[in-house]
Amino acid sequence: MKKSHIIAIVMIVAAIGIFISSGSDMTTFSTFKEATATQKVVKVSGDLVKNKEMYYDEQENPNLFTFYLKDSEGQERKVILNNAKPQDFEKSENIVVTGKMQNDEFVATDMLMKCPSKYKDEEIYVKSKETASIMN
Amino acid sequence: MEEIQYIGEHLLPGQIGKACVMLSFAAAVLAAVAYYFATEKRETPEADGWLKIGRTAWTAHGIGMFGVVSVLFYIMINHYFEYRYVQSQVSADLPFQYIFSAFWGDQEGSFLLWLFWHVVLGFVLIFTAKKWEAPVMASLSLIQIVIVSMILGVYVGFGADALKFGSNPFDLLRDTMEAPIFAQADYVTLIKGRGLNPLLQNYWMTIHPPTLFLGFASTSIPFCYAMAGLWTREHQAWLKPVLPWALFSGAILGTGILMGAAWAYEALTFGGYWAWDPVENMSLVPWIILVAGIHTNLIARSAGYSIKATYLFYAFTFIMIVYSTFLTRSGVLGDTSVHAFTEMGLENQLVAFIGIFFLQTMWLYFSRMKGIPVKEKEEKAASKEFWMFIGSLVLLFSAVMITASTSLPVYNKIREVFDPLFEGRTIADAVDHFNKYQLWIGVFVALLSGTTQFLRWGGKNWDDKRRKKFMVRMGAAFIVSAALTGLLCLWINATAWQYIVLLFSGVFAIVTNADYAIFYARTNLKATASALSHVGFGVLLIGIMASGLNKRHISTNPFAQRDMGLSSEMLDKNVLLYKNFPMYMSGYRVTYTGDTLVGNDRRYDITYEKLDSVGRVTEEFAVRPTILYDNALTKVAAYNPSTKHYLHKDIFTHIATIAEREADMEVRKEFEDTLTHYRYDLPYDTPLSVIDTTRKKGPDGTPETYYLKHEIELIEITESPNRPDYEPEEGDRIIGAKLKITPQIADTVFYANPMLVLRGARVYTYPDQIDPINMRLRLHPDLIDLTFPPESALNYEAKTFGIGETQTIGNLRVTFQNVFSNPEHPSYVAQEGDLAVGGNIKVENLSNGVTEILQPLYIIREGRPFVVKDSDNRTGAHVLFESINPATESFALRVAEAPATQNIVPLEISTKSYRTDYIVLETIVFPGINLVWLGSIMMMVGLTVGVFQRKRGI
Repeated sequence: MKKSHIIAIVMIVAAIGIFISSGSDMTTFSTFKEATATQKVVKVSGDLVKNKEMYYDEQENPNLFTFYLKDSEGQERKVILNNAKPQDFEKSENIVVTGKMQNDEFVATDMLMKCPSKYKDEEIYVKSKETASIMN
Repeated sequence: MEEIQYIGEHLLPGQIGKACVMLSFAAAVLAAVAYYFATEKRETPEADGWLKIGRTAWTAHGIGMFGVVSVLFYIMINHYFEYRYVQSQVSADLPFQYIFSAFWGDQEGSFLLWLFWHVVLGFVLIFTAKKWEAPVMASLSLIQIVIVSMILGVYVGFGADALKFGSNPFDLLRDTMEAPIFAQADYVTLIKGRGLNPLLQNYWMTIHPPTLFLGFASTSIPFCYAMAGLWTREHQAWLKPVLPWALFSGAILGTGILMGAAWAYEALTFGGYWAWDPVENMSLVPWIILVAGIHTNLIARSAGYSIKATYLFYAFTFIMIVYSTFLTRSGVLGDTSVHAFTEMGLENQLVAFIGIFFLQTMWLYFSRMKGIPVKEKEEKAASKEFWMFIGSLVLLFSAVMITASTSLPVYNKIREVFDPLFEGRTIADAVDHFNKYQLWIGVFVALLSGTTQFLRWGGKNWDDKRRKKFMVRMGAAFIVSAALTGLLCLWINATAWQYIVLLFSGVFAIVTNADYAIFYARTNLKATASALSHVGFGVLLIGIMASGLNKRHISTNPFAQRDMGLSSEMLDKNVLLYKNFPMYMSGYRVTYTGDTLVGNDRRYDITYEKLDSVGRVTEEFAVRPTILYDNALTKVAAYNPSTKHYLHKDIFTHIATIAEREADMEVRKEFEDTLTHYRYDLPYDTPLSVIDTTRKKGPDGTPETYYLKHEIELIEITESPNRPDYEPEEGDRIIGAKLKITPQIADTVFYANPMLVLRGARVYTYPDQIDPINMRLRLHPDLIDLTFPPESALNYEAKTFGIGETQTIGNLRVTFQNVFSNPEHPSYVAQEGDLAVGGNIKVENLSNGVTEILQPLYIIREGRPFVVKDSDNRTGAHVLFESINPATESFALRVAEAPATQNIVPLEISTKSYRTDYIVLETIVFPGINLVWLGSIMMMVGLTVGVFQRKRGI
């Protein structure tokens, strides 16, 4: 057997090993229930609860933003983010937070928002208000 | 439905454009056929004829493409919004320099850019490829057929089942969507462009896509050569001409990727140059495979091994480009990437795109495989080719790993087809995931690059003496590198042993390759290109480590917080900065001094002063991060950073957020509508107290109400404009007040300059805001009537004066002092040809003893006289010229005394107008980031030098 073949086989074995080990990097999204149970860093995907308080007062603390998130099971929890409130947050449809539960609150270290992009709307812009309203 | 006769549409350019698309498509088909026969019938007399047809067809294809591009530019420059592409990319106010960005801002335009580069490269091949022209151009024509089909916009079949081929950039808006507005024949006059996404209004958007797409297009050439080599079974001959093309492609594609990284770092706010975003990954993967291919190509040229590998590497470089096109343009990535294009509904066509070239490769490869020369003898362990091949395998390994992880959304989609309940997987922490594995790729590549340089092709003359020399050299390099790594660790905060290993590998690559360049470059010029690239790779690794591991936030006080036991992830990242209120952070005094709006760019001036231990300023610099508003200036579209560059580090600053009322005009309007103002009548000479309530948390945490008393005093009433935001118009009457406000708690006084402008019958209010006490002041319009009594209430008396003459009119003692030229008055705007004089008229009110100088004007404009009145509300005098007699030097004046007014200034004050003059700032230091750029540039320069060396056949 050639040396390069041996090395190639070693690499293939390594690749399989990495794929198996990196399985732990791949997650489905957690729920608040699971997060409470594991007490580990998890990702929770959910929707913003629009009728509950969203708090950000940059003059009080520019690094504190809290809001309520409803996970896929319908559970609502307060999320505390240690960062500034992102732009267009209210518009987000779906939010993914990374963090862990602490006393019934989810302390997030990272957050990803999925926003309907305003530039992808199928809209015709009309010159003046008198002629027509913006149509969809 | 009745057909509407539309008016105002420009249909001709679109028709020409569509015809050009058709022409270039048909010509590409013809070129492919002609070049096919020119290849199949090579070495027969027919070949020449086919070749000529092929060239002519390619020229026609090029003309068609040129036509498409020109017409698209034409309709964009002329703002023909009846075309869908123009309407979605351009708006009337889009600055001209962004027309290019708008051109390739979406799918069709970027396909055109790609096509355009293929046309250019095709012509280069026609002139330089000689006997390779026919087979190479046949494949390139096939590629063009497929890509042009993406912009065909043709329906095959009928009704709802019709298959759509491509999306044509010349489609009319009214044909692509339904809206009631198209019921109006003159709809063209009513619509306007959506305009380019403000994020793309950026010079990077002008230079990055052309470079990247030239990179994309250039990967087609090694692919076509590989196909040509297989097709014609000339498995050795193609290896030489393809090499400069592959090096060229590596340099350009690499530069394109690098520009993307620089764009992300310089203009976006995620605070880094590489985020392992799917789109970034999928442009990197072809480059990695291409580099692997370049290495096996060198092996094949010099040692005769690895020809099969070279075929496959070059083929898959292009196939991965097509795969990345599929990922970015099909919408399969969904929201996992910031780069995704708008969906075009061409997913199946994109899959077919991959399929066609995958099948072409597979068919040619397997049908020719047996004839590909393979060396029976195994490579020696001490040979250059063996270790270079291992290096290429490592690169391939890296490409496979990245592709597998990035393709997770594709895998999810496929699983969902079979199992609708399947829940899609995602990578928990993409950056961590990729770094963890790619780190080892970096280690292997760096170590291999250093050692392999000193081995010889075929392991020539590998005896004990040579082995010993090699070992000594490597040993020395190892010791030097270890020592240097130790020194580097004093600077770079390598927190894990893996990082130290990677650092060592980077240093080792630099040391060995520099050594190699110094000792061999004199005798072997090829060494320079290779050594330069590999040193660059080492430098890049060190740069990645330095900027990544030593990256830290200084917009906070990390040391204080760490003492409080907070984890590094929970440290505060942002600080709040009030205007002109310095903030101390991590050894700097930072002050936000102001901002200016230019176009839809709002620039913030922020100064940094570095302080030493005793508080002296040792260094000062300014940064100007910006906020980009949307095209209508109603809402913030993007926050752009600003970076202070040093040789050894960057200080990266961006605004995380601003007050909501500054960011969103709707919020501001809502707030202003709810703001309550109270009226105060401020006497001229007595200060007035305004009570303000404020709520603060008391010692036990419950809010308590405090009362504050601010004192307001009138300094003066003025009729000169005192506001920078006021633009004078002729006939304006202005009344402004200068007010002094002494707050109860602050140790300073404030001045406010509210103003009213009477323009025609309308009153414009210019309020003033005193941010530190959240106070907004404006003048009540009643002040107009108090200051400018209606003419009907005035009783004028006409008197004629000589120079210096004094007369008494009622209570007023009037002295005509003199006349002067070039007079100024707030309600007079001088015009060319005006003949204007002003009079200095001293008026003393005998009842209250006030004396003032009034300056009425007398103007002759276009032969007709008119006058400008002057008045003063302390004396109550109103004075204007009636006529001037130059011969006798007598001046007829009309003088009136206004009825006594109350000497008050009616004010409206709100004490709840909360300040918005602040920003939330994030500042990150990236040490050694320049090593990232330096290393990358060295790699690109190395590749470019290689192009010229291989071209000259050194």
